[in-house]
Amino acid sequence: MRYSAFADAERLERALGDPGDPAAVFSYARCADLDDADEFPAEICRALDEFGLARHYVPVEFGGGLADYQDCLQTMRMVARRDVTVAVAHGKTYLGAVSVWVGGTRAQAERVGALVGAGVPVSWALTERAHGSDLLAGEVTATPEAGGYLLDGEKWLINNATRGAALCVLARTSAGGGPRGFGVFFVEKSALATESYRHLPKQRTHGIRGADISGVAFDGALLGPGDLIGGPGAGLESVLKGLQLTRTLCCALSLGASDHALGVATRFALGRELYGRGLADLPAARRVLATAFADHLLAEAVSVVSARSVQTLTGEMSVLAAAAKYLVPTRTEAMIARLRRLVGARSLLRDAHEHGAFGKVERDHRIVSLFDGNTLVNLNSLVNLFPILVRTADKGVEPDAEGVRAAATVSLPLAPARHERLSLLPRRGSSFLLGLPAAVAEIEALAAHDDRLAPLAASARTLLSTLDDLYAVIRAQPSVPVAVPTSSFVLAGKLAACLGAAEVVQLWLRNRDAAASGPNAALWRNGVWPTLALDRLLAAVGVSAPAPDSMYETAFAVLREQVGAGLLPSLFDVRLAEAGL
Amino acid sequence: MSTNGMTTHGRKDSANDLEERFGDPYDEANPFGHAAIVAADERAELPDGAEAVLDEVGLNAEFVPERLGGRLTEVDALVRRLRPVFRRDAALGLGYGVTSFMAGLNVWLGGSDVQRKWLADALLGNGKVSVGYHELGRGNDLTGNEFSANRTGDSLILNGRKEVINNAGRAVAAVLFARTDTRGGGRDHSLLLVDLTRLDQERFRRLPRYRTLGLRGCALAGFEFDGCAVPDSALVGEVGAGPDLALRSFQVSRAVMAGAGLGILDAGLFGVLRFALDRRLYGRTVAELPHARSTLAGAYADLLTADAMVTAVTRALHVLPASASACAAAAKYLVPLLLEDAMNALSVILGARFYLREGEYAGFGKHMRDLPPLGIGHAGGVSCQLTILPQLPRLLRGTGDAAPAAVFDTAAPLPELDLAKLRLFAPAGDPLLAVLRDDGTPPAIAAELAALTDAAAAMSPRETGVAAGPAALALTERYALLLAAAAVLGQARHGDAPEGWAELALDRLAERLRPSAALPVFRPDAEEALFGDLVDRAASGVGFCLDRDLVHRSLAP
Amino acid sequence: MPTPGTSTDAATIAPIPADLAEWLAGRVAAYLDTTADAIDRDLPLAEYGLDSVYALSLCGDIEDTLTLVVEPTLAWDYPTVNAMAAYLRAEIERPAAT
Repeated sequence: MRYSAFADAERLERALGDPGDPAAVFSYARCADLDDADEFPAEICRALDEFGLARHYVPVEFGGGLADYQDCLQTMRMVARRDVTVAVAHGKTYLGAVSVWVGGTRAQAERVGALVGAGVPVSWALTERAHGSDLLAGEVTATPEAGGYLLDGEKWLINNATRGAALCVLARTSAGGGPRGFGVFFVEKSALATESYRHLPKQRTHGIRGADISGVAFDGALLGPGDLIGGPGAGLESVLKGLQLTRTLCCALSLGASDHALGVATRFALGRELYGRGLADLPAARRVLATAFADHLLAEAVSVVSARSVQTLTGEMSVLAAAAKYLVPTRTEAMIARLRRLVGARSLLRDAHEHGAFGKVERDHRIVSLFDGNTLVNLNSLVNLFPILVRTADKGVEPDAEGVRAAATVSLPLAPARHERLSLLPRRGSSFLLGLPAAVAEIEALAAHDDRLAPLAASARTLLSTLDDLYAVIRAQPSVPVAVPTSSFVLAGKLAACLGAAEVVQLWLRNRDAAASGPNAALWRNGVWPTLALDRLLAAVGVSAPAPDSMYETAFAVLREQVGAGLLPSLFDVRLAEAGL
Repeated sequence: MSTNGMTTHGRKDSANDLEERFGDPYDEANPFGHAAIVAADERAELPDGAEAVLDEVGLNAEFVPERLGGRLTEVDALVRRLRPVFRRDAALGLGYGVTSFMAGLNVWLGGSDVQRKWLADALLGNGKVSVGYHELGRGNDLTGNEFSANRTGDSLILNGRKEVINNAGRAVAAVLFARTDTRGGGRDHSLLLVDLTRLDQERFRRLPRYRTLGLRGCALAGFEFDGCAVPDSALVGEVGAGPDLALRSFQVSRAVMAGAGLGILDAGLFGVLRFALDRRLYGRTVAELPHARSTLAGAYADLLTADAMVTAVTRALHVLPASASACAAAAKYLVPLLLEDAMNALSVILGARFYLREGEYAGFGKHMRDLPPLGIGHAGGVSCQLTILPQLPRLLRGTGDAAPAAVFDTAAPLPELDLAKLRLFAPAGDPLLAVLRDDGTPPAIAAELAALTDAAAAMSPRETGVAAGPAALALTERYALLLAAAAVLGQARHGDAPEGWAELALDRLAERLRPSAALPVFRPDAEEALFGDLVDRAASGVGFCLDRDLVHRSLAP
Repeated sequence: MPTPGTSTDAATIAPIPADLAEWLAGRVAAYLDTTADAIDRDLPLAEYGLDSVYALSLCGDIEDTLTLVVEPTLAWDYPTVNAMAAYLRAEIERPAAT
């Protein structure tokens, strides 16, 4: 089926041309060369500027083109599927500015919106050398001075710290710190005395080698009163809310990397002969690819639904973003590792197969689970939400069914996000989890009239009982928020998988009619893709719900068809530049 | 109890000499420290002077049987002696010459006395020998090889290419797998030992070095032959004996290569522990966070499990040579997965620093990158699974004797390694698995053994080849996991493993065999005991493997 | 800003505790796996190592027991048990907004 959110993504594909053509500005060959040289992809970023990619970073109400987060996600995915480094290098500006969209005044947001729209790169300076993800231990200070602030201290391992013309900086506004002791400041380097800041050297990295991962040190940098975003103690709150958006959009990087890796591995298998037959004819090899495709599709489903939820279930993003940012990158890492074993020696060689793309995409993608809150930070966020998720489930709180329906129905146009509705806590719990019993009942009703849906109905029933069991275990856990026990991290991972599965179920239910004909219909008919997705997600919980072999075969056939025709490996019908546009 | 050669804290032997020469990896001024190794890696070179150190200690002698003047006696001891090298730099371990060992095995097994003597001398003179089984277009499918040797009079005429060959640019000799017939079946290929210094340079070319994305210091290149003649005497063994010799040599090299990765996890574990003890997060050290502690303890448990499996399999080559084929393949399949998973889990603790190619912990990222390709070009996971698969019904049939204590107890004397006793097909009843048929086996593991026994008995003969379905192939993984459990139990009974390890290790294997729907079993006491042992070893300069070797590496000041 | 909530199901709601500080100390103690008398009511919760995001969970307890809808960041703005109790008392006694 077609999905309108890919319109700009396809337009970008047309503008950029076939990445396999070495003459294209944004080609695989060029990106591999830049990577060898640890060189920033400046010319490619300029091409993206010319395309106007940055308009996706500025909400419409502040003068930009960001009306639907899905457009932004899928367009960034197209960049990432060519090169994760470029996506990180260019997309960083959205992260840099997000605190302003979430916590700034209209005047501040319009000021930053104009800068971003004009192509000014903005960076987000949160972390420090000695403190990593422990933001409240931050030592950069902002001291009131002459009506403004003096900024002092060092931010390190900051993407685009050097190349960014402006940064949003998290700084301590009260000596005692604490959750109300930090503010976010919008710092334009051009407004600073040159001796009041300096750049720290670019760090060499294993992946995204061309990216500007560096730092910045402030020494009495004078900021104006209007540079404080929100109140002097609003920093942590606006950062945590901003992270709900950026963590959701991070899925674009994983999907793009996964698009690329799946394409490389599939072309490899189709072109290779072993033991007198094609590698893709060996059942075990085919299953590796089909399983990877199932993982890819479920990652796509979770990403699509989570990004749409920004606009329909805004107050629940604390749980949805943490689950997506945990699930999608870690599962994609594991999937790429399995494909690497299939590709074998070529994954080691720089020049043997598609410019050494496989090894590069694996290295590059590893950044995704590290930044914007790593795996542990996201699981910890979910652990923090255990009390409210369990309480709302126990009380039988009504889900926001309309919000779920709108998030999952891709043909529905959505109103722009209301950022003021972002909340640090999903007050009413998670509507996807609360709405699961009704969704499962709906599938069972469909299966009652259609035997071909029996596998999906069985898996959905298993999902429901698994979630109940999980709640019971979580309820029995001691609440020890000081030093989170390992068991809580394990449970958070399992809960994230169940939430992902609930999103899968909704996405299938709300679009199955629209997707019943046309390309990719084979994935949607008979519940093929959700049955595969539940197989994979329940396995991550430790529950067996095997999808029939025939469904894996169906998925493989679609994958072969999509990759062969230059289409995006996807639930949706999306043409890439390779298809000849 | 393996107390021979133990000092108060750890074991001291010739490997320790190497450790001393290499010095503290965290000393930034050390020419063999992480900083220098990472810098060399950036230049795609081996660290300056490192090969000279290995020449000085005569590492190649470890690859040559004692009766030919070398020091190769027990395969498990070889793995231990290689550990300091791989712990330092996997590219050095492979680049210096583990491939020379792989090449040599074929000649020790099937070569003439003249060939053996010649090759032994070449190695003892610090020469490099390449091994060319594979062609890039054929992956692990040896029988599809197209490099050919045609007999003409008393010469063999070589045609074709060998690609992605370690040390092809500088090797003095090579063992090459060549097509000598086209009848079909298992007798179409032969092995040749070729003196590369005496070839017609018009008809032989060393191909340019490949650029590689991992193991960057290794010089992988290739050979091209264009009607190049070598004497008949280059044949190793009979014409057509190639697959038979190669598959028997693989049993040893697979076991050794599985063991090579242990040093990488040992180093990675130390690095992350060092970081965790030093770094403060949320008002305490990372090592005080429960999740970090159990990750470290878990990685340590898995390292010891991997070591137990490697130890059992390398010793089984001596004690149970007829049964070594499947278990060596199982070790080569499972051990890299265990190690890779452990490194992945550790990388999460290290956070952003594992991604940096500079700074104190840059060595971890490099190790993590180099671990997966270590097995590439040798025997990929699927080829190991395909070695096990056809044997599975036999291995699970019958209730033969359990492997004797000597398989596990590293202090027990071993019979001499006799490569001629290695068989391509094991007899019925796997002796390592038989260790699990015992009252002391945890019920979860015993149940999995029973299930695998049933599944293997029900296997269709059509499911035992390359066309096997995913369900059949998955059985080989379960076999490997059960073998690991047997190795853990054997080690617990006959070895000298740390307190808490065996129960934790068996839980972790059971969890891999059958994940828990709710929560896995947590054993906080065992975890704490293991974590405490880990910290003690790190503080007292003892390595993290079963043998407690002495190491030189410093915790943060 | 907090607004007085409406009871969703009066039968299941416990009466509002007379001593709010005592009740809050009990809730905090439950999260910290300790007893109420071990909590110094004038010490910021962060001093106990209570994660600043986890502290947000208190708003759920408050909503359940006091039928009062509060901002999740209540524990940030009123970081001690006594400060929080005083604030909640004022909210409960405030006449319902029209």
